[in-house]
Amino acid sequence: MSIAQRVRAFLFYLSLSIFLIGLPFILSFALGYKFDPRTFKFTKTGLMVLKTQPQGASIYLDGKLFNEKTPTSINELLPARYNVRLELERHYPWVDSVNVERGKITRLDKIILFPLRSNIKHLNKYKISSFWVDEERERIYYINQEENIIYRSDLEGQSFKEIGILPKVSSLPKKYKISPDKERLLIFNQHQIAAAYLEPRNTTASTQAPFVLNYSDRKVCDVFWHSDSYHLIVITNKNIEVLEAKPHTEPVNLVNLNKKNIVAFYDDAKDTLYFMDSQKAADGKFYDNVYELELSSKSYSFQELIKSQDQ
Amino acid sequence: MNKGQIIKRYLEIIPGTISWGVIIFLILLAIFKPIISAILIIVFDFYWIIRTTYLTTLLVMAHRKLYKQKDREWLSECQRLTNQDWQKVYHLVIFPVYKEGLEVLRPSLEALRQSHYPKEKMVVVVAFEERNLKAKENAKVLETEFQTAFFGYLSTFHPDRLTGEARTKGANATWAAKKAKEFLKTKCIAYEDVIVSCFDADTCVDKEYFGCLTYHFLTSSKPYQASYQPIPVYNNNIWQAPAFARLVEISASFCQMIESMRLEKFVTFSSHSMSFKTLVDIGYWPVDMVSDDSVIYWKAFLFYKGDYRVIPLYITVSMDVAYSSNLFKTIVLQYKQKRRWAWGVENFPFLVSRFLGNNKDISLLIKIRRTFHLLESHITWAVWAIILIFIGPLPILLGGAFFNQMSIGYNLPKITGLLLNFTLVTSVSWIILSRTTLPPRPKGTSWMKNVAMIIEWVIVPFIILILGSTPALDAQTRLMLGKYMEFNPTEKIKKVV
Repeated sequence: MSIAQRVRAFLFYLSLSIFLIGLPFILSFALGYKFDPRTFKFTKTGLMVLKTQPQGASIYLDGKLFNEKTPTSINELLPARYNVRLELERHYPWVDSVNVERGKITRLDKIILFPLRSNIKHLNKYKISSFWVDEERERIYYINQEENIIYRSDLEGQSFKEIGILPKVSSLPKKYKISPDKERLLIFNQHQIAAAYLEPRNTTASTQAPFVLNYSDRKVCDVFWHSDSYHLIVITNKNIEVLEAKPHTEPVNLVNLNKKNIVAFYDDAKDTLYFMDSQKAADGKFYDNVYELELSSKSYSFQELIKSQDQ
Repeated sequence: MNKGQIIKRYLEIIPGTISWGVIIFLILLAIFKPIISAILIIVFDFYWIIRTTYLTTLLVMAHRKLYKQKDREWLSECQRLTNQDWQKVYHLVIFPVYKEGLEVLRPSLEALRQSHYPKEKMVVVVAFEERNLKAKENAKVLETEFQTAFFGYLSTFHPDRLTGEARTKGANATWAAKKAKEFLKTKCIAYEDVIVSCFDADTCVDKEYFGCLTYHFLTSSKPYQASYQPIPVYNNNIWQAPAFARLVEISASFCQMIESMRLEKFVTFSSHSMSFKTLVDIGYWPVDMVSDDSVIYWKAFLFYKGDYRVIPLYITVSMDVAYSSNLFKTIVLQYKQKRRWAWGVENFPFLVSRFLGNNKDISLLIKIRRTFHLLESHITWAVWAIILIFIGPLPILLGGAFFNQMSIGYNLPKITGLLLNFTLVTSVSWIILSRTTLPPRPKGTSWMKNVAMIIEWVIVPFIILILGSTPALDAQTRLMLGKYMEFNPTEKIKKVV
């Protein structure tokens, strides 16, 4: 046998030995067994997976501090109930008692550590009484009802500024609605609808002046902006009408309603109104139905409708 | 079908059945018994790492031998032999050719002419296939250039579809060897004094190759009961070849170097040499099998009743890296080449059917050992990459909530990841060794190519994915289904720089 072949034979048997000796240790680790060098026995253990948000928390098991910080896994835990405490500076600690089972994983991976002082930020710069966030989640609108001032800022409270004056109404508004072009705000209560320009470009123009419409004989249920940001669809307890958002406007009655508490939804993407009303059937009885009323300017010219009504 | 054919057919089914059985078994295990599957995967991964480390060590040892013998002047050493007359040895060199053109053949013949061995001791046979329409024309051109350079120069034309033959390289080489035998007879040269080398058409020998071969032939015990295997490297166009093809061929070359260290398993591969007397005695190369390069070894092994071996020659023969005009074609080309190599699994039914026959001179232990080595190497080839890449993650994917809440479910990806990262260490050894076997950088090639040739090793996982196991599994499946392959030589592109 040549020297090379002897070396090769040595390497072969060395590799075989490493395989045969190493394999039980690797498999026992994989299966969760812990080798006890004193007793020369393998004991089946459990495993704990710890993940926190934010990361880097110190881990205490039964009061004993571990070197690792979250996220980590602790292998070879003897089956038992452990008191787990996770600590992170300037955060509330997380404490719980968890059970570790033989050959199984105990997952503590959805832990949120909350800061000691919550991350609160003051957004409004002036006195306000109400606010809302627009549908696009881009701006916050604020209302000061005592002084009838409208403010606006971004979601971080930046660019906070006054953007308009609310017309005075007799009672507290039910809702505030911004027009699709973001240029006007309407508010309404049970008997009044009011609208104002936000950041009016020309304060002297009559078309940009705030106005109030009174509905003393009816109850206003809901008001919607048409997608042209110029017309309003008004739902009262007696009818549905459309009108131009300007002072001294003449509404056009679209539908007379029988039901007093009307439910309506306006799809401004299609300019379609869905509403429920009671209508008399052939048998003479009234039934509740849902109706669709298309108000798209492509198929329905309000200007012409209003003009024809004027004539 | 006679009894022998039925047995052979059953034997053909065995390797593919075992390989597919292993794969299907592990997939089913991952679905129904994920814990057992995970244990087996960890065992296999660990085994694979130990094996890779062990084989890399053998590679380093083989490389060291190659490096140490690189500058030896073998012819001088032959001349210094006192008890042997090297001058009586003749070399018969056969180049079986099919579609290879002059651009491939000319450098191979030129390398012979440039070799340090006396040309008056060399007989060269360029063995064309008659069905190749350009054969006669190419033969004439080469005869004009090389006929006078050697003691003998023959062009042979192997007729197509002779009875009992398949369209294989072995059939062509056998035809050429028989023609050469007639030639040697006319020159009154004893077969005992002739060493035959059967080279792929693109084989360019080292200048000292025939000196080294002669030296080993004259100094080894039982020289007729041995084949002589040089280290194949693919240096002819390695600087021009694309990264994918280059890495595949470097790996193939390294595998052959590793095999050269495992003498009890060592079998002839590609270009190799042996005694012409032995070749005649055993009835030449097989004429109906694709893997003639390894079957010739087994024929001799059976003929000499197990007392036959392969002697590694730590000297290189250089061949072409197989690649094509674009990456996809190169991948297809390489795939087909590896599948042809993997078709060596046909040795299994060939060998075992003869072991089972009236062959009592070989001990049962040797029969079992050789059969096991042969079968194990082909099965491992067909499944290793599939187990590592595809089956490894299956217990986690298919094991369900129960498996994933077990310790082994959590530890499996960590352990396999850690173990496989360890193979990066062996990869570094391969990168370093690949640098030392490279020929000098051709003029006009940027030095940046050196950097690129190191970085390109990152695509090895991609190569393993495509060429790791699938060609071998494909070959075994074809054999299992009785869809026999014919020899289809690999297209070679040779760029002149």
